[in-house]
Amino acid sequence: MISPQSPRSPVFRAFAFLAVLLLTGCASHLKQAKFHYSEGQLRTRAYETAQAAASYKRALLEAEKEVRSNPSAQAFTLKGLAEAALERWPDAEKSFLQAFTLGFAEGEEWARDVARLGLSSSLDALGLKDAALRSLIDLVDHAKFKPARLEAARRFADLSLAAASGLDDKEKASALAAVAKTLEKLIDGDFACGFYHYLLSQTESHREDYRKSFEEAAIARELGLPAEKVLRDNDLQIVFISTKMKERLSPDEWQAFEELLGRWTRKWGWRDPLTPNWKKE
Amino acid sequence: MDKKRAEHILDNGVKVLAEFLPIKTYLYFPVLYSICVWAVRRIFDLKERVLAWQVWLEPGMVESKPDAFILNFFERTEGVREAFAEEVRVKDMAALRKAFAGLYPVCGLEDAFLLALFQEDLEAGDFRKIADEFGERTARAIEDIKPAGSGQEFWRGMQSVGMEIASLGIHVMSDVQVRKLILERIRKKVKKDED
Repeated sequence: MISPQSPRSPVFRAFAFLAVLLLTGCASHLKQAKFHYSEGQLRTRAYETAQAAASYKRALLEAEKEVRSNPSAQAFTLKGLAEAALERWPDAEKSFLQAFTLGFAEGEEWARDVARLGLSSSLDALGLKDAALRSLIDLVDHAKFKPARLEAARRFADLSLAAASGLDDKEKASALAAVAKTLEKLIDGDFACGFYHYLLSQTESHREDYRKSFEEAAIARELGLPAEKVLRDNDLQIVFISTKMKERLSPDEWQAFEELLGRWTRKWGWRDPLTPNWKKE
Repeated sequence: MDKKRAEHILDNGVKVLAEFLPIKTYLYFPVLYSICVWAVRRIFDLKERVLAWQVWLEPGMVESKPDAFILNFFERTEGVREAFAEEVRVKDMAALRKAFAGLYPVCGLEDAFLLALFQEDLEAGDFRKIADEFGERTARAIEDIKPAGSGQEFWRGMQSVGMEIASLGIHVMSDVQVRKLILERIRKKVKKDED
């Protein structure tokens, strides 16, 4: 599977593209860099990886000229994005840090959020998991650009859950509780965002609180999820929870849960309570 | 649904694929099958979205799954259960996690392109092969499709196939019927070319 920080990842490309598209007030090298970077994304989308790499290299050359003649946070952000696309993670990290050092102008919150997300990708790729996590937590708490906040929340959850799996039971419980708390805070701020409920459902599953996990997955499905892959993963989570609930509940409790499950899954048009409608027959 | 018309449309699709991917016949089925699946959901404009510079932000899924979820996947998925019975019995989570990375997108999430790409192995019940070769084969498929992606004509042709198939009401056919029909048309074309 393609990792989110990979230049082939749709999420990475999307953020990077927006960064380029929204940059304004640019000099000619910056314009050229944007043009080549966007071209690289177009090529990547068309699976023309060699041509895409060439475009990213041209974008990087132009961005380098721009940072020499007219250094700005935007120029370094673009340079970092091109380096990240070329998987030059240490260089990308330096560029994003340089962008922060120079500071973003008013109205460029989105660019700052994208640069921060890029920085966390670089840190993660370089094996600096704790630093990546801290950067993501800050982004989750403070990002004003919602798409960046969503992706930061997912990566925060993924990294935290992976890290927690290696801890002893007591530490793991404490770490997972902290992840859940952060996600609950996000939900409190934006209850209608199905994706946050999906993330919380995944986290509660790690905590083996299957009823809570089910509730969150059901809410996520009702509110909607941003991609087919996520929706299917959420559906399979519901199927998984149902089998675990059957193992854990008393016959009476299971009957009550089964009725609830049946009501939801009929509403969603599933073939039966354990078979989503998209599953092959 | 007009079967003759569906055959004609699919033949046109195979023709476009043969033109742009002349020696990559193994990609014909995954591409055409995906298009049919997307057509049912009225998705035709992927390339247009790219050309129009409209990139949609799609947060990905959480890839870190608890052991219980992974075990449940292996226990519940027909074929996979039998293939990995020993690892499940001894709860060899390292081996199961490794295999899960390749098997979950195919047998769990049922991605249309991947289902078709691994169809032969799925039919043969060779789930270990899918798990072992997932990364390499998906990367190769992406590489091999590159030449087609460089031309606008290819995307226009594929888009046209999708729209026409959708207008025929392909959703009334079962998945098995759709797959059978596509494979028939591909085999016919390949045989004709060989003759």
